[in-house]
Amino acid sequence: MNKAPASHANHLNANPMKEHGFIDFLVITGGFLLITPILSVHRVTDFMIFCIFVMSFDLMYGYMGRLSFGHLLFLGTGAYGSGLFIRYISGNPLLAILAGIAVAGLLGMLLGLIIVRTTGACFALINLAFNHIGFFLVLSPLRQITRGEDGFGVSASTLGFLNFSSRPIMFGFVLFCLLLVFYLLKRLTSSPFGIMLRSIKEDETRVRFLGYNTFLYKWLNFALAGSLAGLAGTLTALNYNYVNPNAMDVHSNVGVVFASLIGGAGTLYGALVGGVVYMVISNFLPIYIHRWEMFLGFSLLIITFRFRKGVWGYILSLWESGIKKRLLRRPTEEVANR
Amino acid sequence: MIYTIVYGFTIGAILYFISIGLSLTFGTMRVINFAHTLTYTMGVYALITLVALFKGYFALVATLSIIVVIPISYVIERFIIRRLYGESLDYTFIATFAISLIGVDAIKWIWGVNPYPMSDPIGKYLMFWGLSLPIYRILIVMIAILLFLALNSFFKKTIVGKIVVAALEDKDGVRCLGINVDKYFSIVFVLGSALAALGGVLYAPISSIHPYMGLSILLLSFAVVIVGGMGNLNGTFLSAFSLGMVMAITARYWSQGAETMVFIVMAIVLIFRPIDI
Repeated sequence: MNKAPASHANHLNANPMKEHGFIDFLVITGGFLLITPILSVHRVTDFMIFCIFVMSFDLMYGYMGRLSFGHLLFLGTGAYGSGLFIRYISGNPLLAILAGIAVAGLLGMLLGLIIVRTTGACFALINLAFNHIGFFLVLSPLRQITRGEDGFGVSASTLGFLNFSSRPIMFGFVLFCLLLVFYLLKRLTSSPFGIMLRSIKEDETRVRFLGYNTFLYKWLNFALAGSLAGLAGTLTALNYNYVNPNAMDVHSNVGVVFASLIGGAGTLYGALVGGVVYMVISNFLPIYIHRWEMFLGFSLLIITFRFRKGVWGYILSLWESGIKKRLLRRPTEEVANR
Repeated sequence: MIYTIVYGFTIGAILYFISIGLSLTFGTMRVINFAHTLTYTMGVYALITLVALFKGYFALVATLSIIVVIPISYVIERFIIRRLYGESLDYTFIATFAISLIGVDAIKWIWGVNPYPMSDPIGKYLMFWGLSLPIYRILIVMIAILLFLALNSFFKKTIVGKIVVAALEDKDGVRCLGINVDKYFSIVFVLGSALAALGGVLYAPISSIHPYMGLSILLLSFAVVIVGGMGNLNGTFLSAFSLGMVMAITARYWSQGAETMVFIVMAIVLIFRPIDI
């Protein structure tokens, strides 16, 4: 909702989109580079992959208002798609990434036909059910191909300077993907398509009443979110050099929901902040607090009752109230000066 | 084949115990209750603690462990669920999930992560026509059918039940009559949680006991509720037993596929009859 005046302002200026996007890129790159020396290159790469995943989840939850409890299915599909591509067809990493995205996107299109018809709790549960089916398929009936519980190693061949076993190059590539996804989603969510998604979130019946085919929009968005999650999956596979069924473990779904909420659903920066905060909590908190699941539960409760906008939403509202105060103060000051 | 049918009825009975609470909470309060995993697992862990104290009195221990769950579920209802009335489903889902995270972690804290073994408390077999059927499983099915009849008469004959049924149909209408609906909702919630604990207590001796045991059975119960219809008591009964049978028949031919088949059935049902909730 905050986006509308911003996009309006863009039309007024001559070439503001580039500048605005450039600042975003600087902020994101700078932010991740800043935390790299404190943590490690490998960890931050992992964080960025998770941020891509949170953004794809946010496209569905924050923008379209559909909470999914089985989004990891697409991450796992992407990971298995690219892993199996490398294992059985070709070691070319870029082709493997494309294969992973394509497989996850196709799965999204196929399942979207069914899932998108439902809303609310039904949507969450049917996603969970499909995630369960996918996990089971990988674990047991497709054991011949996927090697069941053990998983398999993924070693992509070197392509020019793209040597994915080198940590800095992996870092750079993931950062590039993150910026690309961010730019894509920024354009998408401020486009008519994105406005349509937000209208569906607010009141789907009215949108349908206006004569739009909401099913098509929801279906497209579902497939898109699926393929972006697939991208995160392929990057996970390349980053860890192996794939196993844990990539789509049903029980880990709470992580992405939590990340999206803590950052603030419905904003891209919120997804980034939430992804980083969640990863820091889940990576470092278990070292200091043994009962970190309980901590997670209590913080989820606090978020639902007191802190719905999340960290980023809170910052935004503080900033906005600051601007408002300044804007309100100025005329009175002028009056006083006169 | 007889074994398969008995097995299917047992699973169906357990699913019925657990899903009736979910169905009622959803139908009256519009809350998808993930905290059901917690009450279910609490019942089981209360059972294994009490079994060590009173050896040999399984019925007494089972009743006691269900009674233990009642105050816990009341606290959950009073302090968390009651604040969520009228909220969007996403937040109720997340808040109840958070409760189950906290509760399961507390269980891990108190009892540890390791699975507990437990044996069939009756251990006798019913012999006829050359078959030997475990009496315990037959007992579970009997209890389920008795409970179904008892619940039906509760909702048809008593005032409390009638108010709940009326609230399932039209909550605001009941409130307009000057009835404090929230009080009846908490009764419904506690009843549902106690039934989940009953299901857990009865299922514990024939399944494995570990802190995450609630999650997979809860997913199955959600499937039951969706197939049977949210807030539909007879539908829940029928769908619990038919999905139990689906599980048993699948497990007979392909043991790992049993749970997945339930979800496939649920997906098919959702395709042909999407529910707007």
